[in-house]
Amino acid sequence: MRLTKATSLIIIAISVPIAIELRTVAGFFNIELPLIAVAIIEFLFLGLMFVLYGLYGEKDNSVSP
Amino acid sequence: MATASQRTFVDRFPDEAAVVKANFLVAFVALGIGAFFGLVQTLHRTNIVRVIDSADYYTMLTGHGVLLAIVFTIFFLCGFFHWAIARSLDRPAESKLFSWAWFGLMTTGSALAAIAILGGLVPNLGISADVLFTFYAPLQAHPIFYIGLAMFIVATWLAGADWFLSYRVWRKDHEGERIPLQTFMVLTTMIMWYIATIGVAVSVVFFLIPWSLGLIPSVNPLLTRTLFWYFAHPIVYFWLMPAYMMWYTILPKLSGGRLFSDPLARVVFLLFLLLSTPVGIHHQYLDPGIAEGFKFIAMTNTMFLLLPSLLTAFTAVASMEHGARQRGGEGYFRWLGALPWRDPAFTGMAFAGILFAAGGFSGMINAGMNINYLIHNTLWVPGHFHLTVGTAVALTMMAGSYWLVPQLTGTKLYSRPIGLLQVTMWFIGMVFMSNAMHRAGLAGIPRRTAEPQYQNFDFVTPIGSIFELRVQIALGGTLLFLSVVLFLFNMLLTSLGEESDRPVDEYLPAPLSGAEGSPRILDNLTMWTGIAVLLVILAYTLPVAAIIQNGGGLFGGGLPVPATISAGLDLATTALTGAVNTLVGVIA
Repeated sequence: MRLTKATSLIIIAISVPIAIELRTVAGFFNIELPLIAVAIIEFLFLGLMFVLYGLYGEKDNSVSP
Repeated sequence: MATASQRTFVDRFPDEAAVVKANFLVAFVALGIGAFFGLVQTLHRTNIVRVIDSADYYTMLTGHGVLLAIVFTIFFLCGFFHWAIARSLDRPAESKLFSWAWFGLMTTGSALAAIAILGGLVPNLGISADVLFTFYAPLQAHPIFYIGLAMFIVATWLAGADWFLSYRVWRKDHEGERIPLQTFMVLTTMIMWYIATIGVAVSVVFFLIPWSLGLIPSVNPLLTRTLFWYFAHPIVYFWLMPAYMMWYTILPKLSGGRLFSDPLARVVFLLFLLLSTPVGIHHQYLDPGIAEGFKFIAMTNTMFLLLPSLLTAFTAVASMEHGARQRGGEGYFRWLGALPWRDPAFTGMAFAGILFAAGGFSGMINAGMNINYLIHNTLWVPGHFHLTVGTAVALTMMAGSYWLVPQLTGTKLYSRPIGLLQVTMWFIGMVFMSNAMHRAGLAGIPRRTAEPQYQNFDFVTPIGSIFELRVQIALGGTLLFLSVVLFLFNMLLTSLGEESDRPVDEYLPAPLSGAEGSPRILDNLTMWTGIAVLLVILAYTLPVAAIIQNGGGLFGGGLPVPATISAGLDLATTALTGAVNTLVGVIA
């Protein structure tokens, strides 16, 4: 699946709740993550995803209905 | 032979399409106004921007709740059900005039209620209805608010009669056939609605209207609360069932496949018919006038309601997986990538389903009697229902519109990328807002408050800060408002577009497992209605009897006494003994 604008949007959307709850999960282990750290992690994650998709993404096999 | 253009709904059923469009128009106008009120509120209570008086906050809160949770959802539902009945029975409504009559009555009732609410912003007018969405006593509204609501409810009854009439005529020509799935879903939902609205009809007509007109001096507040919640829990399912209907009958097609199981869908809708109503007391865990035993029974009933929702989750995901594999998807999870994520109708419904799962979990906290005490009347509760009605229902309805509206207008969707941006923005906005609301609720921040900032007292949250939560709520609320603007913009330009022969592929394929393999008793609506009524009688007779006895009678006024189960039992026994004696006397 090749990275498309739609896929990018969906990945961003799904990663937002994960990033928000990252602080809660870290809190369970007594690790206090500052907000800025979460924002940096989120941007790094997105960058990594884009690079991985760009390098190893399959050919787009989805068909628009 | 049908031509391509005749396959479009508006070409086959032009009169029905006009009724559906009219319903959607009112729904979308209410959505726009309600969303604007939501933006004003979210910025006000988080203290980011305050453009209104705090006293007017409650007017806006009432407007937000009534316009979105009642007007938007139910007008959309009526339009959607009207479409579904005509489509699945393949016949027009029996009387065009009757269809327009219930639409007209609903619109008039909504307009009266809206005038009463908005009148609160003009103090000299002498009309207000700052009673919030939960419009029970002791808060009192202007009589036209209650009269408007009564007209609205009666209009929904007439709409249901319209659809039952279509079904009855269809049945005469189709002896022995199974009820088409979408019609089955409409009819079971409406039976549930008829049973549920008895409570609010009694409350409004016999208590609130006479009280607001000054015809009776007082009401029994706990009775009106109980009658309200008798209606207002099943209304949750009245909102949800059209969303479920889209997940069962439209989402599988959008995924590229078919519904996994028709019988399972029927079982789910029957379970909602049976279990939606006898649970309303779980909203009253902290009401002192109801004995704990009754609350425990309501909690047990509520937990059974998880079953149809879990069955739905299974069926929806199974249908999506089937669709993805039809599109070439493979592997345990890689099939997810083969789904049509570029289609806003699909993506919106999928996002709605994801957040509904989160809303279901927070709902379990609400439903548990002991842990409910922790979050009762806190911001957790709005956090919960913005995931359920605010996303599972509202986002599904908006996403469904991207597929439905072109069928009604005969025009192609104006912009799929804008649609995709809109549903994604809703998802992200709601994650920000509802997540922060849940966490703020755990910190004890109250709901229904214009200024939850207090002198010499700071709320404490274990992770992050209260300031961050406020910013998250304001950011989320703003994204949600912008999302509504994009949606309305897309719908407007779609309706103004050029007509197309085939604006959308509206064919719905047959389920993988059809109705023919399931027991015919599933279609025996009379029997299921009887069982649903019996369950309501069992769940509510004793609590209502106790509330009447303990609260100083039907109209209140007496001194309240401590709630016990035996009080209800005494009153019920006395009433039953009296009835038996009378009957024996008549026979003798």
